[in-house]
This record gives sequence, C-alpha cells and structure tokens, in this order.
Amino acid sequence: MIWEVFRQEARGKYHTHCGNVHAPDKEMALMFAQIQHGRRRPTHSLWVVPGEEIGEVDAEETTFGGTTDKSYRWAMTFNTDEDFAEEIAASQREQEQAERADRAGESDEDEADETATGAEATEEGESA
Amino acid sequence: MSAEAKDLGGPADLTETERAAVEAELRPLADDEFVLAERYTEWQVRAPTLESDLAISNIAQDELGHARLWYDLLEDFGQSEAELIWEASASEFRHATLVELPFGEGDWADAILRGYLYDTYEDLHLHALEGTSYPRIADRVGKVLTEEDYHTQHARNWLSRLCDDEPSRERVQEALDRLFPSALTLFEATEHEEAILDLGIRTESLADMRRAWLSTIRPYLDSLGLSVPASAEGEVLADLPEAVGRNGEHTEHWPALFSEFTHTYRELELGEPPRLMKDPDDV
Repeated sequence: MIWEVFRQEARGKYHTHCGNVHAPDKEMALMFAQIQHGRRRPTHSLWVVPGEEIGEVDAEETTFGGTTDKSYRWAMTFNTDEDFAEEIAASQREQEQAERADRAGESDEDEADETATGAEATEEGESA
Repeated sequence: MSAEAKDLGGPADLTETERAAVEAELRPLADDEFVLAERYTEWQVRAPTLESDLAISNIAQDELGHARLWYDLLEDFGQSEAELIWEASASEFRHATLVELPFGEGDWADAILRGYLYDTYEDLHLHALEGTSYPRIADRVGKVLTEEDYHTQHARNWLSRLCDDEPSRERVQEALDRLFPSALTLFEATEHEEAILDLGIRTESLADMRRAWLSTIRPYLDSLGLSVPASAEGEVLADLPEAVGRNGEHTEHWPALFSEFTHTYRELELGEPPRLMKDPDDV
C-alpha cells in the first residue's frame, strides 16, 4: 500500500508533498516516512495519506480557469505604497468633479475638451 | 547511590581505580553499539522492503554514532580510535555475545527481536547513567537516549505485526529461543562492577537492570503470544551460553566478523582510520 507523504518545514507553514512510502498501515507509514522524508531536510511535521484516498482531476479532463482570457486573475497582489490613501482620495475627487461636469451639460464639456486638446497640440508643436 | 557519590571530574582527575572502573563501564557500551551496527549493516539492500532497508540502515548509523561517543571518552585515556578498534585484538572487545551472532539467511524476525531485546536493555542502561558521577558520560547520555526512542518503537511496531499470524509468530519464537540466553549476557558483570556502583559511575546494578528488563520484555512478548523462558516472578529458565563476551570470551562467530570488518583497514595499510565526522567534543 502506498502512502503519500507531506512535509511541513516549520510550524505554521503548509505541508507540501515530498514523496511516498510503501507500508501496510498508517503507523508503519509514519515510522518509515520519518527516515525516508524527515531525515535530511528540516522537518517539523509529516502527514501520511493513503494514496488511493487522494482525488484527482487534471488538465486533460478539464480546462482550469476556463478558455476565455482571464489574465486579470493572475494578479496576486495590489501594489500599494504609503501614498495609496491620498491617491484614492484624489481619484475620488476627480470622479466627483467629472460627475458635476456631467450634470452641468454635455455641450460645455465638449468645448472644454476641444480647448484642452488644442492646448496640448500647441505645446507639443513648440517642444518639437 | 549517585546522590552520595562525589563528582569524579575530568579524565585527568581520576585515580587508577576510578579510571579502570570508568573504562570497564565504557568499553562494553561502545563495543555493543559498534558490533550490533556492524551486524545490522548486513541487511543493507537485503531487508524485506526498501523502506525497512532504509530504516534499519539508519538505526545502524545511529548505533555507530553512539559507539563513537563512547569510544571518544575512552580516547581520553590515551588510546587512539585505531588502537581501540582497528588495531585492537579481537579479545579486547567486551560486547555481549548477543550482538555478534550472525543472522540466518533472510531471518528478519531475528534482526527485529534482537533489536528489541538489545534496545530495551540499552534504554535501562542509559537511564542508569543519567545520574552518573562522571560528567563526561553525563553530557552524552541525553543525546543517545533521544535516538533510542525510535529504535524501540521500530522493534515493537515490527514485532506486533510479525506476531499477527501463526507461521510468522513461530519464526519469532524460534529467534527468541535461540537469542534469549545470549541476551542475558548483556547483564554479565565484570570484576569492576562493585567499583562502578560505589563510585556512582552507574546508579543501578546490572542485576537490578536484568530484573527490570525481564519485567518489561516478559509481559510484552507474552501479549504477542510468545513464550519467554522466565517465570512470572522473574526467575530465568535458561542457562547462560558458554561465551558471555563481557570477559573477553566470545563465540566462534566473533573472530570471523572482526577479521571481516578490519579487512579493508589491514589491506590498505591505513594506519589511521578515515574520519568523516568531527570529534564529538568539537561539534
């Protein structure tokens, strides 16, 4: 009988799979695993699990994550620094201003946009 | 006894008598571990499964490490490791004859039962050294004891499974009948026994240790359906073998084993054993 072995390097860390042992029962599996998997690397704890109790689904049977582009899911963390609160506040203010401008009427906004674009173009032209 | 015994100090502080007693205590300890490890290594690549192979090889490594701890204390008195082992004569060894006996072909029951009988003894012996008056021994006992727990667990786990069915239990019983008299040699005293106890080098006599050993192994082996040649009152119903080892007299198997493990040393005219590990005092 095959027992899959999971090692935890230090208290609080995850148990990660590190191999297996052949043993007739759990007690013997734990005894063998100590020597085979806990002797040469730092070990705080070992789990043994009957191999046949482990369920598996693999990439041949399913498409993990779906088939459409969901690369946004790959973002594991948000970049934050000390200024993040201020940036959020600034962005909030910007949105509020935009809302107010909206309410003031579309025609005014269009004019303002044209002016801004014109000003940029002039600046660019000068620096070139 | 240890409460009254004075601290013996370091190797240089000992009188002739004290030194002889310390040596007489250490030599059997070191030789038992060394020779048993030597026999265990015969199972390398021959044990029943890969896992059991690794486990017994690891136990052999542990025992070799313990042997070095004790030989190292003997080296305090001037002899080198080469002189104590590789260049010694076979008759200088003081191990009990239990550990030198060869294993029958594929006789795993023997290896396991021998380990059990020996480890139970060793555990008692080490505990009798925890309060030793010789600080150099005291420093090392704890280290050895922690590793011995695994050995006892290993032996018991195997024994209970080997005794699960009748044909297999019969093989364990055969091993027990054969090994039991030799196991008694573990408790054979030397002429220094009285001095060892008076000086507090060991706090329990070998005779007391033998009683404690019997009262541990007998009920346990009984519970597995084995029959131990001793009465419930602790009376031993087996005779000691001719050669007991502790006095330097060994079985006919010892010279062969000794010549085998010193073969490479002699062949290569080493003059000094190669060392993989640092001196225990430098670790």
